[in-house]
Amino acid sequence: MKTEDLKSNGDEDVLAKTNRDQNNSESRKREIIRYGISAAPGIVIGTAFVVDSQVLRVPRTRVSQDRAEAEIVRFQEALDITRGELLQIKSDLADQLGDDHAKIFDAHMLILDDVMVKESTESLIRAESYNAAWALDIVISKIVTSLGNIGDEYLKDRSADILDVKQRVLRKLLGIESEHRQNPTEPSIIVAHELSPSETAQLDRRYVLGYATDLGGRTSHTAIMARSQGVPAVVGLEDTRPLIETGDTVVLDGNCGTIVINPLDGTRETYEKEIEHWRQFEEQLLTLTGYPAETLDHRKIELMANIDLPEEVASALDYGAEGVGLFRTEYFFIAQDQLPTEEEQYRVYRTLVEKMKGKPVTIRVLDIGGDKIAGYLHNSPELNPFMGWRGIRFLLTRKDIFKTQLRAIYRASAHGPVRMMFPLIVGVDEVVQAKKICEEIKHELTLARYKIDPDVEIGIMIETPSAVVLANALAKEVDFFSIGTNDLIQYTMAVDRGNTKISHLYQHLHPSIIRFLKMTADSARKNGVPAAICGEMCVDPMSAVVLVGLGLEEFSCSPNLIPEVKKTIRSVTFDECKTLVKKILKLSTTDKIEKRVWTFLKERCPDLSMFAEGKQHGK
Amino acid sequence: MLEFDAIVDNKIGMHLRAAGEFVKVATQFESEVTVIKDGKKANGKSILGLASLAIERGAIITVQITGDDEQDARDAIEELIDAKFYED
Repeated sequence: MKTEDLKSNGDEDVLAKTNRDQNNSESRKREIIRYGISAAPGIVIGTAFVVDSQVLRVPRTRVSQDRAEAEIVRFQEALDITRGELLQIKSDLADQLGDDHAKIFDAHMLILDDVMVKESTESLIRAESYNAAWALDIVISKIVTSLGNIGDEYLKDRSADILDVKQRVLRKLLGIESEHRQNPTEPSIIVAHELSPSETAQLDRRYVLGYATDLGGRTSHTAIMARSQGVPAVVGLEDTRPLIETGDTVVLDGNCGTIVINPLDGTRETYEKEIEHWRQFEEQLLTLTGYPAETLDHRKIELMANIDLPEEVASALDYGAEGVGLFRTEYFFIAQDQLPTEEEQYRVYRTLVEKMKGKPVTIRVLDIGGDKIAGYLHNSPELNPFMGWRGIRFLLTRKDIFKTQLRAIYRASAHGPVRMMFPLIVGVDEVVQAKKICEEIKHELTLARYKIDPDVEIGIMIETPSAVVLANALAKEVDFFSIGTNDLIQYTMAVDRGNTKISHLYQHLHPSIIRFLKMTADSARKNGVPAAICGEMCVDPMSAVVLVGLGLEEFSCSPNLIPEVKKTIRSVTFDECKTLVKKILKLSTTDKIEKRVWTFLKERCPDLSMFAEGKQHGK
Repeated sequence: MLEFDAIVDNKIGMHLRAAGEFVKVATQFESEVTVIKDGKKANGKSILGLASLAIERGAIITVQITGDDEQDARDAIEELIDAKFYED
């Protein structure tokens, strides 16, 4: 009965869809623009290739009693084939990105080989004569439900892996070989609701022009993969996937975080020009690599790279980074099926430090929570994760995780200059507590005769209004500030950038932001503590000149954007930027400030202003 | 059949990694291994089974072992729990 229902529904769907396609083929080609999160830079125009996690229809049929044993054999064969397939994916991934990435599949293997899954499924087939697919479906559903009830976030996250494994085995049992059809045969932009790590890993990289997904954040697996492959990605597009079909032309703008479906000729031309503009601009910028980042009146600005993986070091150095201004450590906490051990972390930090060959590396301790824990895993259950249990708050309650990470960082400090910083600081006591733990770890490591650098600099992220207001007191406790502009703007303006209804309020040059930055820079200077800027803000030429004028001396951004920032810095003098800041501090609206900065920039560097304008149109 | 109680006293309880270590040891033996917590039973050779028992730090578990090599299995499992699942 149920099977019948499902079937007829399914057929109706197909019919309805065909009709709709025929009737609406014209209107479907309407140009649609959608906004998401920019996860990897670059712009590309291409053909969409939609990857769907198929909903598999499991037949509710029984096998005859005498076929039960044969059905069990069929089940075991499906497990064997799946095991081979997973091993293949794992070794491909290890070749492409290293063993650490391939570890994602360790959990898959354990689940596939789980004796409870195997025995329960077999006994259902034997006792109830269920077909293998049905039996497995029941067993896995039960496990996922019971794990979901435990209330352990970590285990809940593993449910995605368990379901991934189930899908694989079910496909074998149902004879659906979707894997091949799920791979583009010509260069395409991959479009999906969500890409699991195994789906991403299986795509033929030669044909991937970029990624667009409905779910995910900047540190989701797809985002990291795109950045390490050097292709653009836009994630967090919400309900965009249903608007796109394989073969549609799309423009993917990883710089602005937008996607244009079925672009009109005019739009297409604009983007083609922008791509060409980018290409020329980048070529020109790359010639700057050998030159220092200093203003015309010789004020030196340190340009650093923001990275997630040691593999990104090579490109950071190519683009002329003078160090790592932000190494985010979230990735291997979410990429693995378990908490990374001290040894694993030490290996990663040490590799990073060694690859930077004496240039400073700033490691931010785990900033999990908010968007960071989202990604390809599940969303955090907190109602308001951005204001929730994350950053230093998380670490001061989970001291076990904090201490393990600190040990690894201090041990890596024996191999080159390391700095570390704490995220989401709102008060002095947090800094005092965290520093006390650092002292304990240093003591422990010294007793255990580890070589460490006892003078690892300790800094904090200034990314909450509270930290800005307390900057003077905080400066007395730390060695440096790193102003995280993305979060600082969101918290100050009380605006979630992902919310398109209000994202226009996310303004770099809002008068309150400029005043906050000035307060921070002034407190830092007064206490002799360097202040760095770490965020997209320094990439925007309009903001960059303001930051120079505020007296900030270290900018950190994505490696490929370093040359652009350098170009801005080399086009202006420190003096005139200071004057500019004085003037805009008297202005009371973003509009007035932008106009003033715009006029300044147009005069000093027409090239860059053109770029800034293009960017603004893009938004 | 051998039966003994043990306190799980590693850092964060029998999470997936620790459960994995338990399974690794248990599967080296022919004997059947059952883990019981709060009356719920799980196959000691199943990582998902152990995980779904939600064994937190400080929890007391009962381990039942039946088979020819039960004594050896008991020794190995006790050693593992004492060593806090070799976490560090």
